[in-house]
Amino acid sequence: MGRDANQVPDITDQDTELITAIQKGAAERFEELVTRYEGKLYNFGLRICKDASDAEDLAQETFINIFRYIKDFRQETKFKNWMYRIATSVCHRMRRRSKYAPERELSLDEFLPADHADIDTELPEWAAMPIRQVLNRELGEHLKASVKELPPQYRLVLVLRDMEGFSTDEAAEILGITPANVKVRLHRARLFLREELKGYFHDNQPHTP
Amino acid sequence: MTTNHTHHDHEACLKLFAKLSEYIDGETDEVTCEAIRAHMEACPCCTTCLETLKRTVGFCEEMGEEPVPPGFSQRLRKALNNMPHGSMP
Repeated sequence: MGRDANQVPDITDQDTELITAIQKGAAERFEELVTRYEGKLYNFGLRICKDASDAEDLAQETFINIFRYIKDFRQETKFKNWMYRIATSVCHRMRRRSKYAPERELSLDEFLPADHADIDTELPEWAAMPIRQVLNRELGEHLKASVKELPPQYRLVLVLRDMEGFSTDEAAEILGITPANVKVRLHRARLFLREELKGYFHDNQPHTP
Repeated sequence: MTTNHTHHDHEACLKLFAKLSEYIDGETDEVTCEAIRAHMEACPCCTTCLETLKRTVGFCEEMGEEPVPPGFSQRLRKALNNMPHGSMP
């Protein structure tokens, strides 16, 4: 059943006015929504999908679904959260079709140091120097590639929390999992990435700025 | 292990290890937060562990966005314009 257009939204933010207008029949304003979020969704796709072509498909399919179902969106949550929930389910469908990156669990034990001998007591340069001095294009590319090495259920959590800026509760709502589960997956995903970064800086030490 | 860590309890480190992301995000309860803070003061290994994890998060947060590719916006609007009129909001 469609939302009563006169109903006051439960959550208000920068999208509320536009969404309400579209729901009341200003279909021509859908264009504003596309302009507002096409870059965000494309970049979300780039971080989640295997290539730029899949990222474009994800953005397109997400907007098509938003277009179809926006009249049913009851504004009980932020529009952005609802949009990412759609994008996430599009992503799941695409992955089922492509068999890309099968699910696997990351165990905390994989990342536990056996003892202190495994850990440097001195902070490495890459963690001590100002972030802008360390994060160059090459490292950025390595980081993006490492994110794609994460099993999908971990990758989604990490991208939503640490790249798209959603809170734990929002990420849980988008993914339909508990906040506790978000925290567990996020921690393992970060540990996985840290190991990748350690390897990168170890291999590239002479070139580290 | 450094010489000043000979008597350090590695079990304590392992117990806190699972909580480091929550600590970074300010989502631990006060007791855990204080326990981690106190532990960090005494344990350079865990401090390194925490700081490298923080930096990993920092890198992710600082990742910029790519511009959309040429033709992307046109293709997207074409697909939306091809939607049946009955599915208009």
